[in-house]
Amino acid sequence: MAVGPTRRAVLAASAAAVPLLVSACRGVQVLGTPPPVPRDVRLLHSAITAERLMVSRYRAAVAQAGSAGHQTVTALTGILAEHEQHLAQLSATLVVPAGTASRLPAAAATSALLPAGLAAGLLALESAEQDASNTLAGQLLGVPPALAQLMASISASEATHVTVLRSLGRVP
Amino acid sequence: MTGAARAVGPQAIAKLQAALAAEQAACYGYGVVGAYLSGADAARATSDWVAHELARDSLAATISAAGADPVPAAVAYRLPIQVHSAEQATALAAILEDRVAQAYIGLVGLTDLTLRALGARLLRDAALRATIWSHATAAFPGLSSSLGAPGTTPAISEPG
Repeated sequence: MAVGPTRRAVLAASAAAVPLLVSACRGVQVLGTPPPVPRDVRLLHSAITAERLMVSRYRAAVAQAGSAGHQTVTALTGILAEHEQHLAQLSATLVVPAGTASRLPAAAATSALLPAGLAAGLLALESAEQDASNTLAGQLLGVPPALAQLMASISASEATHVTVLRSLGRVP
Repeated sequence: MTGAARAVGPQAIAKLQAALAAEQAACYGYGVVGAYLSGADAARATSDWVAHELARDSLAATISAAGADPVPAAVAYRLPIQVHSAEQATALAAILEDRVAQAYIGLVGLTDLTLRALGARLLRDAALRATIWSHATAAFPGLSSSLGAPGTTPAISEPG
């Protein structure tokens, strides 16, 4: 049966940080039985979904903070930009075979992303950042090396956001 | 991380040696940083210095336990910036942390999950210290600023 790169080959290539063009699963499509989603793909889906949610939260926070001090708005805007970079980098890592739809879950509803009030919003963001950082730190043990490095870096970045948010919460 | 004997391959040894070298340089650099600071900043520099000494010693023990000789520290290091003021000292501290973070990303890229977890934890610690010194965050601590350029993005394929 004509098949494309094996799973082992795909993972080996990703470990070497070489972008892949994968277009060779059509034989499987013809059979009509989608293969199970591998663990590393599931973890990447999870990371992308979490970053999408984080970006939505920060957009809401920046809108809420319009009347807050300049320092708060600047900090939140800066963190939002970093989450947008995280999302872009993670999304670029996911290769969807040509002619197929991604199995990435649809974006979650964005209502009620943050509690009302700046102080409560900052606390919610701090908690979300800590959770996201911890989750990625656990997930990076189950993915290929290059993705693990990306996840570790994002996890570290999110940990630093906690520090910034905590300091903003102390601003009178 | 302890110095208990365990099988570690040559690639892992090389990454551990790189992390050790970065920690040795940080230990030297923090000696300069602390000399220009006072009060709470000096206390923070001392605390961070101790953290780097502990990491250095732990890495050296791990390398020894794996049967390799830890790379020796240099007598002196060329500092990345000249330091003549408290402001320059804090800038140096941030640079030292960035360099340590870059070394720990190498450990995260290993298939040895114990070393990968260690690298991730120490990368996070370095990023946190860098943020405190620089009053700034980074989107990708430890990773090259060229991230996203062709050939730098890992790829994971959905099944077709």
